[in-house]
Amino acid sequence: MNKATLKRMVGKTEFYIFLVLIIMIVTIQIASGGQLLQAGTVVTILRSMVVNGMFALCALVVMISGGFDLSFPAIAALSYSLSTTICENMGWCEKNAWAGFIMAILIGWILGMLNGWIISNYKLNTMIVTLGTSTFFTGISMGLLELKEITSTLPKSFRSLGESCLFEVYDSAGIRSTMTSMFIFFVILLLITSFVLNRTMFGRALYAIGGNEVSAERAGYNVKRTKFLLYSIVGATSGLIGMIRVCMARQSIPKAMVGIEMTIIPAVILGGASIFGGEGSVFGTITAIGIITVISNSMLLVGIDTYWQDFFNGLIILIGITVSAIQAMRRKR
Amino acid sequence: MSDYLLEMTNISKSFSGVQALDCVNFAIKPGKVMCLAGENGCGKSTLVKIISGVYTKDNGEVVFEGNTIHKITPAEATKLGIQVIYQDLSIFPNLTVMENLAINSEISSGKKIVNKKSWEETAKEALAKIGYDIDLHAKMGQLSVADKQLVAICRALLFNAKLIIMDEPTTALTKKEVTALFKTVRQLRDRNIAIMFISHKTEEIFEISDDVCIMRNGKNVFAGPTNELTREDFNYYLTGRKLHNVKFEPKSLSEDPILEVRNLSLKNKYNDINFSLHKGEIFGITGLLGSGRTELALSLFGLEKPQKGEIFLNGKKVKINSPIVAQKLRIGYVPEDRLTEGLCLQQPISDNITLSSLKRLSWAPGMIRQSDIMRDAKIWVEKLSIATDNPNNNASTLSGGNQQKIVLSKWLSNDLDLLILNGPTVGVDVGAKQDIYDLIQDLAHQGLAVIIISDDLAEVATNCNRVLVMKDGLIVSKMHGNEITEHKIQEVIS
Repeated sequence: MNKATLKRMVGKTEFYIFLVLIIMIVTIQIASGGQLLQAGTVVTILRSMVVNGMFALCALVVMISGGFDLSFPAIAALSYSLSTTICENMGWCEKNAWAGFIMAILIGWILGMLNGWIISNYKLNTMIVTLGTSTFFTGISMGLLELKEITSTLPKSFRSLGESCLFEVYDSAGIRSTMTSMFIFFVILLLITSFVLNRTMFGRALYAIGGNEVSAERAGYNVKRTKFLLYSIVGATSGLIGMIRVCMARQSIPKAMVGIEMTIIPAVILGGASIFGGEGSVFGTITAIGIITVISNSMLLVGIDTYWQDFFNGLIILIGITVSAIQAMRRKR
Repeated sequence: MSDYLLEMTNISKSFSGVQALDCVNFAIKPGKVMCLAGENGCGKSTLVKIISGVYTKDNGEVVFEGNTIHKITPAEATKLGIQVIYQDLSIFPNLTVMENLAINSEISSGKKIVNKKSWEETAKEALAKIGYDIDLHAKMGQLSVADKQLVAICRALLFNAKLIIMDEPTTALTKKEVTALFKTVRQLRDRNIAIMFISHKTEEIFEISDDVCIMRNGKNVFAGPTNELTREDFNYYLTGRKLHNVKFEPKSLSEDPILEVRNLSLKNKYNDINFSLHKGEIFGITGLLGSGRTELALSLFGLEKPQKGEIFLNGKKVKINSPIVAQKLRIGYVPEDRLTEGLCLQQPISDNITLSSLKRLSWAPGMIRQSDIMRDAKIWVEKLSIATDNPNNNASTLSGGNQQKIVLSKWLSNDLDLLILNGPTVGVDVGAKQDIYDLIQDLAHQGLAVIIISDDLAEVATNCNRVLVMKDGLIVSKMHGNEITEHKIQEVIS
């Protein structure tokens, strides 16, 4: 690694976010008397990163293209609620979960296509469009279909998939912590996103569109198609993530996702994604999600009341967003 | 005939009934710099977009390298060797120089996977075209405008460009950067590349172009070698009117001077300034940057406190300590650029006119009636003959000159005796400039005293009946009447 590359690396938001994460881990480790870096705690934190992390990757790619997606929780919720309700009524997925997953992905895909169609055809503000579709999707789920909570009657295969684990660890008190096999999905999505963003023309198109949409069109990108594809893929992925959540929670609650975007999107911005588009990386996003998760999981370790959790989350997010905005302002000048 | 690279004959194009181009002819030879000139909205960009394939022509014939082209897409135009460098340069500020250079050719190669090595090779190849050196991994957004432009030029050259269209390339450049750009343009021309240079700046056009094509209202009004044109002809073709360089003659001078300045001094800025000004006069203060002209004006408006000397207004000695005092004394000051920046284009003309006099118009604290705004706006529309039949229309519906009138009306609505204009036509179209001059002269005839501070010598020579030339804070010459000429001021200044 030469000096120039090092200098560029140090100049990036990701570098500082990573530094913050490290400092935080060390501080909490000391303050909690060494309780953070124990196998059990680490596994729990990684576990709780699965759903948020995957959603954050969705939010990231949209934000890189210069948009905001507020509808992914609604898409996920409608997808899994509908899918599990159908499975329950038809008696499917008792042994094998794939039908439920495919159904959720398909539903998510269709909903995402609606987003993509509106956004690419009518150059509307993506935040407004997805705010609208989000309410619309929730309306379908709650009003039109009257989807109900499914808890004890959840098809068995989902339950067992959620209980299956990659490995388990025991802490000094003998308490068991398991690493859910759903973690694999997280890792795979992470690798795919990273590959797509950096190594494919589609990924570069997202950066280009986020940087300057008019130029991207002039350069020869099919901006309309790219956006349509983006939102449909994000929709399908949201459906998948929703099912993963159902398995991990072993219940399907139509309203469980409400408001989750308000934590995810600021975290993505904290991770170096620009609110004006064109900037952001998988590494930064995952680091930021790591920070948020570590905070919420280690409050009790350090002996801080959980009331303070929102306070610290909010504070960190505010700082992150302010820094991002200041950087963008400097660049414009 | 075929020594033309691109030949366009009788091109017409209309948008929903509005004729944007009407039988336009345009032809360019390889190895020539051809200027396409015209005021805003004359159809320049429509013509460019037809060449680059963004729009399709309604009628006419396009011949490129001897082949007739009927319909063309932007991608096909690129393949033929037509490259457009847009005014905004079409760059991606968030990507690196390397990516910016390579992105177009990587897209057109139809690859799906990114190969960093091939991107780097493409980028290096592009830079080598004009022997330009820059850090490939630097972020585009952090470069200067001039560097961005060179990157955009290099990118265009990657496609074996035969015709490069540059859309107003000098807008955001400094004088020095313009010189450097022109060097590159000549370099390209010598390589037998045809360059279509779009501009409305007279001086630049005469400096760089071999030929010029002037458009007005969707028609071309002149095409031929640049050196066959005088600047006066050029301006005539551009605006469609003889820009009457009518010398200003004061008609309604007041008997007593409205303003008298005696021995005014400010250390290191200006020294021992004496002059007087009557109502109905246009008084010019000129000199190079740093000659003290701006500071003197600021002192008259209370923004720079003079150390010595006296100011008399209407025969009474006054101390102008702040702009508030100045305004109470009915002095108005319009700073540089304010004429071009002081408008909310997407709002009604009436709202723009009354923007700074809302306080005066309110009938109770914080309350205002729409009818009062309208009445006031109508008065000003009439007074300055702003060309609109409805003050409710947006300001953007007006021509440049009329927009300037709105800005001025904002200042005038506070009932002035003395108006100080600093650089009144900086960054203004030739045609709109004329409108401003007419307006200023009209105001003077109506009995206003006007001070123009400007380094545009032609402007001063035409519009002022008396001129003060400053150099290093001192008055080096006072001229009046017919002895004021551009040439003479130039002599005194340098």
